[in-house]
Amino acid sequence: MKKLIILFVFVAFGFTAEAQEKGSVLIQNATVISITDGDLEDTDVLIRDGVIQEIGKDLRAPRGVETVDATGKYLMPGIIDAHSHLNGVDINEGRNVVTAEVTMEESVDPNDVGIYHALAGGATTIHLMHGSANVIGGQGETLKLRYGVSQEGMKFEDAPRTIKFALGENPTRVHGQGNGVQPRTRMGVEQVIRGHFDEALDYKRKREAYLSAKEQYDRRGRGTPPVPVAENLRFEVLNDIIEGEILVHCHSYRSDEILMLMRVFNDYGVENYTFQHANEAFKVAPELAKNGAHTSVFSDWWAYKFEVYYSTAYNASILNANGVINSINSDNNQLLRTLNHEASKVVRYGNTTVNDALKMITLHPAIQLGIDDRVGSIEEGKDGDVVVWSGHPFSIYSKAEMTFVDGKKYFDLENDPDDMRIQINPGTDFEDGSNYREIVSSRDEDACMQDAFILFQN
Amino acid sequence: MRKHILLLALLFSGFSLQAIQAQTTPAHALKNITIHNADGSVTESATIVWRDGVIEAVGKNVTIPFDAFEIDGGDSLHVYPGFIDGFSTWGSPEPPRNLPELDNPGDPPYDRAGIQPERKPSVLLTEDKTFEAGMKAGFTSAALYPNGYMLPGQVEVFYLAPATESIGLLKENLALAGSFEPAPGGWGNGAYPSTMMGVMAQFRQVMFDATALQQHMKYYAQNPEMPAPKRDQVLEALFPLVNKTTPLYFEVDTKEHIERLLKLQDEFGFSAVVVSGKEAYAKSAELKRRNIPVLASIDFTEAPDWYTKMNKAEESDKEDEEESSEEMEEISEEEQSYRDKRIEAWKAEVTNIKKLMDAGVSVGYASAGLELKDLSKKLEILLDEGGLTESDAVKLMTSNTASILGLGNTLGTLTKGKNASFTVFDKAMSEDKAKVLHSISNGTIHEFEGN
Repeated sequence: MKKLIILFVFVAFGFTAEAQEKGSVLIQNATVISITDGDLEDTDVLIRDGVIQEIGKDLRAPRGVETVDATGKYLMPGIIDAHSHLNGVDINEGRNVVTAEVTMEESVDPNDVGIYHALAGGATTIHLMHGSANVIGGQGETLKLRYGVSQEGMKFEDAPRTIKFALGENPTRVHGQGNGVQPRTRMGVEQVIRGHFDEALDYKRKREAYLSAKEQYDRRGRGTPPVPVAENLRFEVLNDIIEGEILVHCHSYRSDEILMLMRVFNDYGVENYTFQHANEAFKVAPELAKNGAHTSVFSDWWAYKFEVYYSTAYNASILNANGVINSINSDNNQLLRTLNHEASKVVRYGNTTVNDALKMITLHPAIQLGIDDRVGSIEEGKDGDVVVWSGHPFSIYSKAEMTFVDGKKYFDLENDPDDMRIQINPGTDFEDGSNYREIVSSRDEDACMQDAFILFQN
Repeated sequence: MRKHILLLALLFSGFSLQAIQAQTTPAHALKNITIHNADGSVTESATIVWRDGVIEAVGKNVTIPFDAFEIDGGDSLHVYPGFIDGFSTWGSPEPPRNLPELDNPGDPPYDRAGIQPERKPSVLLTEDKTFEAGMKAGFTSAALYPNGYMLPGQVEVFYLAPATESIGLLKENLALAGSFEPAPGGWGNGAYPSTMMGVMAQFRQVMFDATALQQHMKYYAQNPEMPAPKRDQVLEALFPLVNKTTPLYFEVDTKEHIERLLKLQDEFGFSAVVVSGKEAYAKSAELKRRNIPVLASIDFTEAPDWYTKMNKAEESDKEDEEESSEEMEEISEEEQSYRDKRIEAWKAEVTNIKKLMDAGVSVGYASAGLELKDLSKKLEILLDEGGLTESDAVKLMTSNTASILGLGNTLGTLTKGKNASFTVFDKAMSEDKAKVLHSISNGTIHEFEGN
């Protein structure tokens, strides 16, 4: 523990890449759930310096590399949650309809003990998202659950940028009904997106014209100088979306608004996007597949507000059968710890194959976050983010026994102290601070609306 | 010709008038005192002579000028260089309450967003009993800024006086104040930015806007045929930050917040001073590398009761020992492990300043919200548990702070040519119930006897 703190203190800002710990381990005789190459019986996986170096039989441990005997156990890729608010300092910058300029990268709390709890459930990567109060919310941040490192050290290196969009009731209630500004209706939501894209394109034209005129004027020193056009952070980000540099993750429920956004994106040439929640996506599965859109859904959660009444537990299976890349997400810190159970429900309800259901919490979220070249399956050359399970991860009796990120063990059931907090407030008494085990948060709130519920009352 | 003579005559009279004035301003001499210097040394039976707010002589064998008004300390008074508060809102008007409802909270006017870099304490200073209380605690000067939010205003340094109208401006345009504080109004009536990530983004945006306005003004000055810039006092107040000519005094405590500030510094290149910085020790190497000083808060968390009790028990006789060990037995293993971690966290907090000093970071003092009534209690923690000696603490609050504020040539030590700002105590500060009798601020004597 002390070591963790010391490490934590000495990880210098800006030099985290070097300081980041990568581990080596040889896991032997496991049933390896590779995701991309079936289940491999009695197989060894060698991770060296954070990367899966070899998968095979009877591998030898290089000198100094620890071995783990996983006879009778399962090894699967670390679970990836494409929709989490696990350790955000703030979730919603809910005071404007469009806040593309804010980013969860600057709202990461690396000390949240929930990170450890998630590791204990076999999760290794999360997509830390902005909330759903705004039509265009803030940018997201893909994090590896390296508990005990700095906020910089948690970042999934070189992961593509992402951003949150939100349709339907949340933005219309917060802004239209709460603040009396557009949008009050679903029609308004569409116009907010189109209006801002148009404005952003207009800004880009003006800004580029200014910069080139300025360059000419400064070089020649004659003529009339241009009137400066200030750099605009919000419009810069919106242009990056239009240019395909940012993956859009859109909070949505109804099929009509899903179709609406695909129309809008087709008009502006936006191509890479995932519909989050998307409870009615099954109704438009062929259209989603045609557009190459992805979905990230709950296994069986609905009816928590009006727009989520029309739902089915077959959603994921229908999407999968239609060729839509679909993931199962948590949007909740407790569910994040049991995403394997959530995925198994897809098998139970819709008869999706076990491997396809496993993809929904590994390879598919990786694709949706643009990190599938690094994680999401057990393949040579991919990151050593793996989990040893006591039995098949879809069995209710199985437990995650060890969780590795970059080959480094961050969770070990054998060595799992009660109090794994790394940040203790010196002003908090034991009696008040002893609720650190209280990790089961209630499910009656929409985590996407964290910090923003009160705005409804305005 | 005639004009010339007139001018000459004027010049002459001017000169002579000034000379006479200089002659007639009497000196003050305080003799037979014990001086506690900022470097930790102590001079006994010393004298200090000052005139017009400037120290003329100080030391053991000082000739007192014939015109000096003499005060005899009778070898019982203790003189310390005036303490300097490196960052404080003394005399600031309270931020307005009952904010009017906004038509569009997403695009509020600058003041509602907490962006007020044009505000100057020298313009806004109001009556505040804290000034006198501060002098009674040994402070003679302070860097003040207006109470506010993300960019609350400018930092200026003042000589203190009990009455607000007598407070003298020593240095303006010292710095801009900043924090990650979101816009006021809370849930009911808040505005953008309402989160820390919003503040980060909005900080960047106003810097971009100020950059563009400055460029426009520059172009316009040379090309009056072009459209005129829309002048804006808020953005114009940010020009020195854009141009990196004024530092940003930024109030941050956690390691993560300090990292966020460093990120902004990387983007805009301004020089920064960390204010408060309770976890600054965790970034000491980086702060040193970047040459960022810390105006540190000593507003420590109170030690846990059981820790205080345990310490007392250790100090007192064996009689109490039994009692305390009984108490210890009642604790579960789990609670004991929590206590160990908690005290580790508490010690990390109180040794912050010491660790920064050891790492070679320049550390000064800022009340940064600490109330004066708590000052002596917190100083006690700093000395007992924080690893600082009394002279370290004096240095922290005098010469260290002065040099961070860029006023090392004027304030912070009692030497010839420096400003006459010091405090006279009835006994050494470290002794029980030491009381301030006089405070000399910029050469003016303020008496607090009978208080």
